[in-house]
Amino acid sequence: MTAVKQWSGEAIEAALAAQGIALAPGRAEKLARGQQLLLDAGAADPLRAALEFDAEPAAFVFAMRRCKTA
Amino acid sequence: MSNPATLSLAQAARAVRAAEIAPHELLQACRARSALWQPRINAFISQEPHSGSGSGALGGVPLAHKDMFYRTGRVSNCGSKILRGWIARETASALARLDAAGAAQAGTLNMSEFAYGPTGHNEHWGDCCNPWNTEYITGGSSSGSGAAVAARLVFGALGSDTGGSVRLPAAACGVSGLKTTWGRVSRYGAMPLCASLDTIGPLARSAEDCALLLGAIAGFDPLDPVSSREPVADYAGLIHQTPSLKIALSSPWMQRDAHPEVAAAVLAAAGVLRSSGAELIEVEPPDFDTLSAHCLVVMQAEASAQHLKWMRERPADYGSSVRARLEAGYAIPATVYLEVLRLRAAWLERFCATTLEDADLYLLPGIAVPVPTRAETGPKGGPEMPRLLGEVTRLTRWVNYLGVPALVIPCGFDSRGLPLSMQLVGRPFAEATLLAAGHAYQRETDWHEQAPV
Repeated sequence: MTAVKQWSGEAIEAALAAQGIALAPGRAEKLARGQQLLLDAGAADPLRAALEFDAEPAAFVFAMRRCKTA
Repeated sequence: MSNPATLSLAQAARAVRAAEIAPHELLQACRARSALWQPRINAFISQEPHSGSGSGALGGVPLAHKDMFYRTGRVSNCGSKILRGWIARETASALARLDAAGAAQAGTLNMSEFAYGPTGHNEHWGDCCNPWNTEYITGGSSSGSGAAVAARLVFGALGSDTGGSVRLPAAACGVSGLKTTWGRVSRYGAMPLCASLDTIGPLARSAEDCALLLGAIAGFDPLDPVSSREPVADYAGLIHQTPSLKIALSSPWMQRDAHPEVAAAVLAAAGVLRSSGAELIEVEPPDFDTLSAHCLVVMQAEASAQHLKWMRERPADYGSSVRARLEAGYAIPATVYLEVLRLRAAWLERFCATTLEDADLYLLPGIAVPVPTRAETGPKGGPEMPRLLGEVTRLTRWVNYLGVPALVIPCGFDSRGLPLSMQLVGRPFAEATLLAAGHAYQRETDWHEQAPV
């Protein structure tokens, strides 16, 4: 698994401020904890290591067609 | 005839075609129910009617839809303060198709603000309340759709499902709800939340009723860029065929991870399906938590992008819960969002090649825990609220990430009198198989015929 750097409240606050989103005091720390869980889940994804270099999001439509019948 | 409002949609449509009842009598019966129930459950946002063509498969049957399906010249508030009084300039393709099938519309239904909440709380329009017990949540975001169908205020309703928003209200209110395959039903003219996940689907009293509604709204639409050209099946006809289904399930997981009353009801439902001819196959459960996390990444990134302008300019006009969810999306790195989307095809293929390797459908609960109260899941729900919301949505979001269809139907009541539900999940475009399985179960049981009093 690839290590994921921990989100901090300051980093969240800066990232959102750069997008024009203001946060209430103390909110950034709470957001950082929640977003860290999502990033950790992504880092632990068992299919991640085998993801092909040329995989692209739109290929999902092809997968739907391939999978539609048993 | 007994109270016409207690008929199923299929029965009501047949009665109209046979001239046994007039459409205005159906509407009157629904209005009488609404007069009794609306003050208690707050299911409607507006009760301004719209007549369909009057002839067709749904001729004259009153429906109502989540307040996010646009109709030219009519208000769609999208359950929000920001769009309060906003008048649509086009009609949703799904509504146009229901109009063509002859359905009537009794009004617009309550929903979570901008369809971004799993409980049915709404800080602007008032919470929608569960008709089985108004202290409990309806589930969201199609809260009014679930509550109105359960209370017999309408014969069916449209909802949208991005992370469970058709299935959670169906589960909590004890009705049937179909999350369609991504691309199966046009989203044109429906409020967008997350382009990669949004689907439109029916809530009704039975799988048969859902089949009738799906038959009317499914199919290619050039106005929706992700609309599929996959042929539309005769859903209402096919449910009467009894296919020899193979249904996968994970009994040990259910017994370990679901509430005992939920697990017992779903396993009993599996027994009914086996008695009606299905073969049950035990499998390892999908990786719900990884898939749910991926769904949440996509949902947060896309919803927050959709709302960026208003979040910059008028954040105080969002309810506190929705604003908090939207804030989270601005912290999703673009690379993480795209990696999750690049993984999506591989996860769908794994689900179909493993969980559904020897089976047509996968059976699990709609919600793994008993329906919670409005107080414990609301904006002032306390420190346990995030965990509880996570449990409520744990078994629905993963389905949206895979883009596959799923049917939730009632399978009992818990010790407090709140509905219990099961969920069947299929391959892409397997709606006909799902509805046939649901109908087979509902031929043998009467949970779907129970109505709150």
